Amino acid sequence: MSDTDRTSVGGRRTVLRAALALGAANLAPPFIRAARGEQPVLIGLDNPLTGTYAAVGKNELAGCELAVSQINAKGGILGRPAELRVEDSTSGDAGTAVQKARKLIERDKVDFLLGNVNSALGLAMAQVSNEKGILHIVPGGHTDAITGATCHWNVFRVCNATQMEANAAAQQLIEKAGRKWYYITPDYAFGHTLQAALEKAAEKLGGTKAGADLAPLGTTDFSSFLIKAQAANPDVIIFLPQGDDMINALKQAVQFGLDKRFHLAGAQQELESLEGLPPEARIGSWVFEWYWKQPGVPHVAEFVEAIRKKTGKVPTARTWFGFVSTWSCALAAQSAKSLDPVKMAKALGGMKLPPEVALVPDQAFYRAEDHQFVASLFVGSAQASGADPEDLFNVARVVRGIDVAGRIEDSPCKLVWPG
Amino acid sequence: MLQLILFNVFNGLIVGAFYALMALGLSLIINLSGVINFAHGGFLALGAYLAYSLMPFVGFWGALVIAPFLTAALGLVVERVLIRRLYGRDPLYSLLLTFGLAYILEDVTRYIWGAQSLPYPIPPVLARPLSSQFFFLTGYRLFMVALVAAAVAALFVILRHTRLGMRIRAGTLDLETVSALGVNVRVLRTLNFGLGIYLAGLAGVLAAGMLGLQPTIGTSLIMPSFVAIIVGGLGSLPGTLLGGLLIGVASGLATVFMPSASEAIIYAMMGVVLLLRPRGLLGEEGRMQ
Repeated sequence: MSDTDRTSVGGRRTVLRAALALGAANLAPPFIRAARGEQPVLIGLDNPLTGTYAAVGKNELAGCELAVSQINAKGGILGRPAELRVEDSTSGDAGTAVQKARKLIERDKVDFLLGNVNSALGLAMAQVSNEKGILHIVPGGHTDAITGATCHWNVFRVCNATQMEANAAAQQLIEKAGRKWYYITPDYAFGHTLQAALEKAAEKLGGTKAGADLAPLGTTDFSSFLIKAQAANPDVIIFLPQGDDMINALKQAVQFGLDKRFHLAGAQQELESLEGLPPEARIGSWVFEWYWKQPGVPHVAEFVEAIRKKTGKVPTARTWFGFVSTWSCALAAQSAKSLDPVKMAKALGGMKLPPEVALVPDQAFYRAEDHQFVASLFVGSAQASGADPEDLFNVARVVRGIDVAGRIEDSPCKLVWPG
Repeated sequence: MLQLILFNVFNGLIVGAFYALMALGLSLIINLSGVINFAHGGFLALGAYLAYSLMPFVGFWGALVIAPFLTAALGLVVERVLIRRLYGRDPLYSLLLTFGLAYILEDVTRYIWGAQSLPYPIPPVLARPLSSQFFFLTGYRLFMVALVAAAVAALFVILRHTRLGMRIRAGTLDLETVSALGVNVRVLRTLNFGLGIYLAGLAGVLAAGMLGLQPTIGTSLIMPSFVAIIVGGLGSLPGTLLGGLLIGVASGLATVFMPSASEAIIYAMMGVVLLLRPRGLLGEEGRMQ
């Protein structure tokens, strides 16, 4: 009896030792790799993987991953392999996002920082990256300040500023839908700036405001907002919430039959949201920041194919944001021939992106003065389904980014370089 | 303006009925077992997603019937394996357990069905307004109110007129005596938990028809249910119903005057109730301690 006991204890110890050894073996490869002089160039992605923005965050991640594999297939960054380090920033907790950014910079010693979907988290991360002097690219946080009032020498942004989207959306709406607009706006930085931008753009074109309501972020029931909006009898009800909130608001508006009485529209729409809506609610006039169907634009079809192979779905604007951001890191290093953040930031400012990275009809570039990426915007309307079941947006017009970006002289951004 | 207010009161009652449905399940579990089930929203989401997966095979109506039962079955398993161990301990333990469970359920949903929102179609006959004047009265919303009314009525009949219901009510008042009288309290608690989770599943399926289907659907809907219970009064199911309706109307009316406060208003209401009448509007004295 006692013998068996001893054996079993010995057996357990063996298993424990084996487990420890396995754990140690897992730790070993990086050291060996380092010794071989192939230490990877690290790109840290601090973006939502859980919460409201999980779906868009994961699409940005897929774009980043594809870019990393392409970069490595073409010889890596300055001859070293590129490697992605991913952290979940959460969807709305700036404290966690900042803590993860610090972890990536201080412990993992990443060479580049990417993030965040949420504008507020992006702004908070930018403060950390600026303090640490790390090249930081914001793939998909739209609020103007990132490349406006609080711009930094080390921070670049791929998605559009809200004013750019508003300028692109306003003209089509005034022409097609009418001048009197009622806004349903999410009550946070992004919503406020987007509504202000639309009001400004509409005013120039003779549009008026029938009313506006701020809906708390995460509102599930929009019925009381819709009751109020229809009572004002506008030409257009403008929906500015994003993600799940957009889905809830549009779904309810269509169930109420408001699409038959008013024109429903907004400035920013995403494929992720249209996919979450039942076919009858895929309606309205919108702006897409990138769309997967661009007949005749070089390299887009290959990109769509590669993402379809990887995820089973077509790329969205979010996938493209991630892809362009990650490639921008490699291009900055190559152009600067260095991983020095200041040299890379100088190289990336004003850089024109090659067509296989830009994937848009117009010449895409980073504006040197405020580090805003300027490409193309796609204006059109949502559709229940096209020839392809994933073709949910009908592009009516492609607007050149430079035409809606506003004059750099009017920008509040003044880059201050170190030293 | 008057019309706007009336519309919002009416609409608020519809929304409130839905809050009440979620809150009733939660309330049942708190009352008998003293477990504050933070994972209620997770079960709600699970009910909705199960219905989504069942729909291609059994249709909208089939999914509406089956999914809540499947959710309840899962609730029974969770109760037997996890929650049962914590009865009689400080409520903090079960609070922490269900808090963790809520995260796990949300992530499991995301893992199985994906982070992307999914469209949940409802029969076209329900998906349109009944009149252009009262455009917010859609077939679906009326159907939902009718179903909530039926569920509430059934719940009250079960609690009043069946042996199980009487035991649950007796147990809510004094579990020790009920146990001493020979009632199997373990089984009673398990069944009661299942009943509560059934209501969560039902609310989930109904929510999916109104809102988008996303893994966070439970988390975003669960807070108003807690508020409904506190406003209505712990220990009182009619109180919970009243609480749900009240916060629905309050939130609707806030939109008329100060839309950005439409969410904050329900918490303000909770604060006022806690200050002036800590037991809640219809709650028993001493329950909150």
